[in-house]
Amino acid sequence: MSEEPRVGVFVCHCGLNIAGVIDVEEVTEYAKTLPNVVLAVHNRYICTAPGQAEIRTAIKEHKLNRVVVAACSPRLHESTFRRCITEIGLNPYVLEMANIREFSSWCHLSTPREATNEAKKIVKIAVAKARLLQALETIEFPVTNKALIIGGGIAGISAALDLADMGFKVYLVEKSESIGGHMAQLDKTFPTLDCSICIEGPKMVDVSRHPNIEIISYANILHVEGFVGNFRVKVRKNPRYVIADNCTGCGECRDVCPIEFPNKWDLNMGVRKAISLPFDQAVPLVYTINMDHCIECYKCVDVCGARQAINFDQQPEEIELNVGAIIVAIGFESYLPYTDHQYGYGKYDNVITALEFERLILAAGPTSGKVIRASDGEKPHSIVFIQCVGSRDVNKYEYCSGFCCMYTLKHAVMLKEKYKDDIQIYIIYTDMRSDFKGYEEFYNRAQKAGVHFVRVKLENRSVTEDPGTKNLIVHAETEGDQPVEIAAEMVVLANAAIPVQDAADLAKLLNIPIETDGFFVECQPKIRPSDTDIPGIFLAGACLGLKDIPYSVAQGSGAAAQASTILSRSTWIIEPFIAKVDEGICSGCKICKSVCDYNAVQIEKTHEKELAKVIDGLCRGCGTCSAACPTGAITMPLYTDAQVIAQVRAALEEVM
Amino acid sequence: MPMKLVKTESENELEVERILHAKRYSLTLDRNLCVGCEICKTICPREAIEIKIVPKVNGEKAKQPIIDVDEQKCQYCGICNTLCPFGALKVRVDGEHVISVVKTESFPQLIRDIEVDTTKCDLDCVECEKACPLEIIEVSVRTPDGKEVSDIAKSKKKNVSVHVDIKTDLCPSCRLCEMQCPEGAVRVRKMFHGVMKINQEKCPEGCQDCLDVCPITGALYLGDNEKVHVNELYCIYCGVCKLVCPEEEALELQRTSVHHTPVRSGAWNKALEKLTSTTEMTKELRAKGSMKARGSVEKRLAYKEVS
Repeated sequence: MSEEPRVGVFVCHCGLNIAGVIDVEEVTEYAKTLPNVVLAVHNRYICTAPGQAEIRTAIKEHKLNRVVVAACSPRLHESTFRRCITEIGLNPYVLEMANIREFSSWCHLSTPREATNEAKKIVKIAVAKARLLQALETIEFPVTNKALIIGGGIAGISAALDLADMGFKVYLVEKSESIGGHMAQLDKTFPTLDCSICIEGPKMVDVSRHPNIEIISYANILHVEGFVGNFRVKVRKNPRYVIADNCTGCGECRDVCPIEFPNKWDLNMGVRKAISLPFDQAVPLVYTINMDHCIECYKCVDVCGARQAINFDQQPEEIELNVGAIIVAIGFESYLPYTDHQYGYGKYDNVITALEFERLILAAGPTSGKVIRASDGEKPHSIVFIQCVGSRDVNKYEYCSGFCCMYTLKHAVMLKEKYKDDIQIYIIYTDMRSDFKGYEEFYNRAQKAGVHFVRVKLENRSVTEDPGTKNLIVHAETEGDQPVEIAAEMVVLANAAIPVQDAADLAKLLNIPIETDGFFVECQPKIRPSDTDIPGIFLAGACLGLKDIPYSVAQGSGAAAQASTILSRSTWIIEPFIAKVDEGICSGCKICKSVCDYNAVQIEKTHEKELAKVIDGLCRGCGTCSAACPTGAITMPLYTDAQVIAQVRAALEEVM
Repeated sequence: MPMKLVKTESENELEVERILHAKRYSLTLDRNLCVGCEICKTICPREAIEIKIVPKVNGEKAKQPIIDVDEQKCQYCGICNTLCPFGALKVRVDGEHVISVVKTESFPQLIRDIEVDTTKCDLDCVECEKACPLEIIEVSVRTPDGKEVSDIAKSKKKNVSVHVDIKTDLCPSCRLCEMQCPEGAVRVRKMFHGVMKINQEKCPEGCQDCLDVCPITGALYLGDNEKVHVNELYCIYCGVCKLVCPEEEALELQRTSVHHTPVRSGAWNKALEKLTSTTEMTKELRAKGSMKARGSVEKRLAYKEVS
């Protein structure tokens, strides 16, 4: 576009939002005096259909080749006006927004004169840039219509099933041997007391049978590169020493295996065999040999016989997945309160955590559902539940773990219904949080069942033990500083839920931010709760912040819907804001590579020279490399040096 | 309750425990029975057993090495329990003596083949009891209803019989009792076979450390030349002598076979190889004709026998 710039300025009243403060007539008249401005008009609402039509007519009549809209924030209507001028044949990037609403009328409500002057300056700056605008082309990439979901808990499962039902291929990568996550460890779910695995189990089986879903379990993410629509992910499949295709899941190998080791799935309260499944409903139904415990007697090899599913020579396998979108749903972990010495966890045999209690009361658990004390194997006659252990503690985890109040109520109701008056239940709490559908009613049910609720301060709670009987006494203080002492035969701690240990490593691989508390950060907490800052990477479930099952399911589906907006396209278009390197000027100093936060700069070797190359899909157009480049080889097409200098000059000149 | 891995030690006993909320495993080592021979350490599939040589104090006799078990590594499989010649190790699950490798037939047991024909016994003979270096034989004379007769002369030697009680679990089958029996009433078959040689020219002057620690009277003895000699008739090939020997080449010990119950087990093949040698192990495999197990071992150990 080498012809003389012909700028049209359109000043918007925005009803009274702008015109109520700023003298739009004066701004319009002033705009007419600016160089290359051939037309300046004002209109009540430019963003409306008639307003846009006026722009198009003016472009045609006055042969405008640059357009300045003095109105609101470009975040709101830049795309509207780009579309508008494209319809009459102009390049969308010869438009410049002058934000006289947020930058002037709204912040200078009581000083209309100054506001008008400020608006004139903003228009002047916009025109200075508009004169230098060039036509630019958008960049298109093909989109791989496959998704990767990291984490096979209930959030990941929901996302996987939704995307697969939409027709997209889904890779579900899970770190442990089976999908299912925490939900598969639970006995019942609140507030309905449904059997947890009875609800989740069929979903897990659906995942394994879905033709569009490939479960890659017992695997780790090694490396992620690429960008929206075009991610390449390296995954390591850890050796199970069992060939998945040959394993029928019959369990004969488990029966002959001589070695038992503590089952992490049971929080090490029970055992599993050195060749086994973590739990009976595991998906995929493939056995795993734990080489940290196996004594290599090869009994399993013998009994497996002609099926030949066992291979002691199996090696880790690295595979590469090409996907268009990634959903991260890695869930949470439990904080083990060993360092909160006041509760005696790890010291007193009859102090356990809530998840340990969950495994204890579960019929398929290590005690077949019998609630027994570790010290003597007897059923306790009194249990004290202590809330907020580690959570809501500025020295540990400041946040509320969210679901502990409800699961404690669940445990209390289950115990009361199972043992009636043969058991006394006390809940030591500070605030009872039961604020979703049916939760408050469940709280009432617990109260009616005869559970004792004791409200105490968060501070000064402790447990002591009688070394002879191994019975416990829980000490606390009421709000009014009155001491409380409750004797208990068992104490259950509502321990904090915390981010997964390797969340930070994964965040680094994906280049997505995490909060100081270790959870992932959503792009915008209110209106983009599943998005990350990186296009094409989404979040779901408790890895974003703790949430219960229904919320995690909903968020999994939400993330799937978000991902489908990318996967359903054949191409992904990005605006031409990405950095451009002038190869003739680039000295190959690599400073740009070192400052880029998005790994978007690569160094390429050509004939004895190293050159910076920007990967279009990764570049976020931040301009850091351009500013850092000592030779001026990097240009930001929407913010060229010439344009920015012209804007600065315009800003520093006196306004008439 | 979170899992606990505990080790408790006293002068007489070492105990490691894995305590879970719903199950409790333990392995105990009776220090009074243990001679520190290293067999358990050699065959432990998880390398959970360490052996500590007690440094020799000048002027004192050499002491038997001390066994230590790592509570972090022990899997309570019971292999050490099955192979200890002295019965010093015991695994328990929830307090009960359960050897899981035996229960699942994934490891053999030593065959302690001891026969006593008490009909040949003289009523007043206690030679076997006297001969036993481990004091695990008790000879008694009893009436038909099992009552012990204290004064044999008074009983007029009628309707009484000799009972020889041998704590078989603790017997390393040294054959001393068999050899000392004047009537040929005892027959003991050895559990470990092998070759034991002392290269006396390598022995340091005046050293008899091997003799000091040997649990079997007469297996080693001091000859006229003030050097230690070996009597392989009694040697049980436990190897404690080799552990304390200050000269590397003075003692040569090579086990050749172990008398055990038949079983197909990769873990046994590995244990046997460590106890004897690769050649001996494959010999046994060949004898068993267990081509498949052999193949799996060859695959595992990248070992190919040259035929």
